[in-house]
Amino acid sequence: MFKIKNTGVAFLMIFSFSLASAQIKLGSQLPNIQLQNDRNTTIKLNSFKGKTVLVDFWASWCGPCRSANKKLVKMYDQYKGQNFEIVGISIDTDKTKWLKAIEKDKMKHTQLTDPKGFDAKSAITFGVDALPATYLFDASGKLIAINPTEAQIITQIKKNKK
Amino acid sequence: MKNTAIKHLSLKLLVLLAGLTTQAQTSKVEIQATGLTCSMCSNAISKQLKSLTEVDSIGTDLNTNTFTVYFKKDEEVEPKVLKNAVEKAGFFVGSMVLTTLFDAQEIEDNTVIKVGGNTYTFIDIKNQKADKVTKYRLLDKGYVTQKEYKKLLKSYSKYPSYTVENENNYHLKAL
Repeated sequence: MFKIKNTGVAFLMIFSFSLASAQIKLGSQLPNIQLQNDRNTTIKLNSFKGKTVLVDFWASWCGPCRSANKKLVKMYDQYKGQNFEIVGISIDTDKTKWLKAIEKDKMKHTQLTDPKGFDAKSAITFGVDALPATYLFDASGKLIAINPTEAQIITQIKKNKK
Repeated sequence: MKNTAIKHLSLKLLVLLAGLTTQAQTSKVEIQATGLTCSMCSNAISKQLKSLTEVDSIGTDLNTNTFTVYFKKDEEVEPKVLKNAVEKAGFFVGSMVLTTLFDAQEIEDNTVIKVGGNTYTFIDIKNQKADKVTKYRLLDKGYVTQKEYKKLLKSYSKYPSYTVENENNYHLKAL
């Protein structure tokens, strides 16, 4: 009896451990990650459930990200009223440079920071290997596309429009 | 009795070996990578460098685009290995700087030092004492950009070994 209990506990531990370190893939739920935003408030990533969410990993030193930011600004401006959210996660290690870039690129969408470069926990959870990296979640919080095209994002927004 | 004889022999061998090649100790290597896309925007270079068993850690300076390689105690790899790692990740080396102590009396222009199976030729150097840790930049093909290499070939035509592309012969310039 004791033995069975012990193995059960061991299995549960292994299971929960593999859950905690699991990398997300298509079909996975919006992970339960908490990060600071640009106004020093802690934001829960899965609090955006219910909206179409585009998670965008970027950094101020990443040229291609900075040019993509321009497109994100336009997209957000156009679709923010349609149950759509963009969550930028910067892996900048320098907070000043991060804040400066947000201001310079005139980004109004949610801005979170995980200041540990590619070793950032969120970057590891999402399996970010190169920047920029974007992840599209539907309103039920399910990951439906990695690095989606603009058309793919817009189609999803229109599907989830309330 | 027998034991001491073996000890003596191995000691002699050691002395002999040490006499043949110079010791060099590299504490760190700074690599600037180049490529078609933003090299810093990819984790691939870091991953490749970290996968080398001799490497202890990689520092990244995102503002100067530099990867700094730190080795485990008493371990290091030759520049070629690091270059291959960067290229395996899909990028090129734009600059590689070694912070090294060469165990040589004096290093002059055109001095050739043998370390292991490689030679290090010092180019464009003003006589300097080699008893301190110095930063040296590698000048060989694949360690500078293509454009710079073409220029260097012209400037260093008086160093015959430079124009011969041998991956075991490194050419260094003190910074």
